[in-house]
Amino acid sequence: MMRNRFPEPMRPALVFALLLCLLLAFDGALFIDGLARRKAEYATLAQLAVVTSGLGLTDLAVATEARYTRHPAVSDPVAPFMDHPGAIEHFPTGAFWLPPSR
Amino acid sequence: MAQRNLEKQLNILDYALSSLWRRRLKSLSVLLVFAAVIFLLASFQMVTKALSDKAREVLVHTPEITLQKMSVGRQEAIPLAYRDRLAGIFGIRRVVPRIWGYYFDEVRLANYTVMGMAVEEMPDGARLDTALASGTMPGPAGQGLVAIGQSIKKALALEGRTTFSLFRPDLSLKAFEVSGEFSPDTDILTNDLVVMNLADARDLFAIPAGLVTDLCVYVANPQEIDTIAKKISETMPSVRVLTRPQIQKTYQVVFGWRSGFGSICLLTALAAFVILAWDKASGLSPEERREIAILKVLGWQTSDILVVRFWESVIVSGLACVVGMTAAYIHVVYFAASLFRPVLMGWSVLRPDLHLLPRLAAGDILLTLAFTVIPYLAATVIPAWRSATVPADSALGG
Repeated sequence: MMRNRFPEPMRPALVFALLLCLLLAFDGALFIDGLARRKAEYATLAQLAVVTSGLGLTDLAVATEARYTRHPAVSDPVAPFMDHPGAIEHFPTGAFWLPPSR
Repeated sequence: MAQRNLEKQLNILDYALSSLWRRRLKSLSVLLVFAAVIFLLASFQMVTKALSDKAREVLVHTPEITLQKMSVGRQEAIPLAYRDRLAGIFGIRRVVPRIWGYYFDEVRLANYTVMGMAVEEMPDGARLDTALASGTMPGPAGQGLVAIGQSIKKALALEGRTTFSLFRPDLSLKAFEVSGEFSPDTDILTNDLVVMNLADARDLFAIPAGLVTDLCVYVANPQEIDTIAKKISETMPSVRVLTRPQIQKTYQVVFGWRSGFGSICLLTALAAFVILAWDKASGLSPEERREIAILKVLGWQTSDILVVRFWESVIVSGLACVVGMTAAYIHVVYFAASLFRPVLMGWSVLRPDLHLLPRLAAGDILLTLAFTVIPYLAATVIPAWRSATVPADSALGG
């Protein structure tokens, strides 16, 4: 019997499975890193709690351009449109923040 | 039997993979577009989820009731004398007045959030020093002392200096000295804050004595928040009463698919799928019809061809889903959603360092799958069935 000089090519399903395993292993590494980050986040949560209750904060400081996106929880709903009658809301962050329904 | 069936499926999978590889340019472009759409949807979902989660975790400590005075549909200063009217309501433990607002720095074109209050009267006020990176909180006697957030420090370029000045409304200068600096870890709440005592804030904004911006009301029994809020509304109809549950609810609905940006993400995804589905449904190319005809001549059943098409769709959509969601996670966690920052922060001059960490539940992944993979499968299997039922001789004969 003659021996094949070239190794048989891997079947496509196996190549695909290896690729999938590689991707999932990468996701697993991200997950493990996420757990470490979560632990660090828990440590800062106590500080955030003290600041919130100590200063009576009501909002996250994400968008500082307009008062209704800096403090959506305590701004009146008409604030985005109050510059003049018929005014439209014009700040870019207004596109991200949904007007609170009250 | 099971072994044989598995072997058959593996062979069909091999065939589907080779078929995808044969049309690799087309397959890869579909995969990339598909992954990009999933990346966009998943990034938006992860950013909003991380922000809502953060808000839910920290806003459980927000004041139980906040009172604002409304006049002509706008918020205005509330008289301190309203505290006396609150004294008659049973169940109120404490009322803390605050003066706060926005200071627009015309040199740096930045908005600072200035807060003036007697921090020692607030719950946890005595522990605020633990949230500082350095220094102490300004006390009631600390005239002109402030605690500032990290972005204020950067904006004012206070390298080594501890003093700065802000303009009063009459353009006279008021000097301040930095007594404390909030930790960078609390940036998401304190980034643009300048905290001072009530008298300094009154002086800076030239607010007449006897008026404040709002009143924080703390109740003895948290179960009674709604009852007491109702009593306050009845006693003072001109006052807007915001309760802690209302504030928390705001942040659970403020980031949603109905927001302008959310709708754009969703519509983009929808448009991509409509184009994809239209392309697939408008019929197979002559080469594909030929391939199916040859397979049928070789003895393949209609069901086998459907299984091949199904596997092809599963491979493309599954791979796109994994790649798209992984890229979205990396974008949100490691690059702080840098592609969304222009919209998320807009023209803000002071920008916090966002440390977003989305908590991915199985439900969120399923939602993305339901929006993307399932429509794709539906869009590809039906045309495949239509072509698979074409008689082999007619496909070859043409």
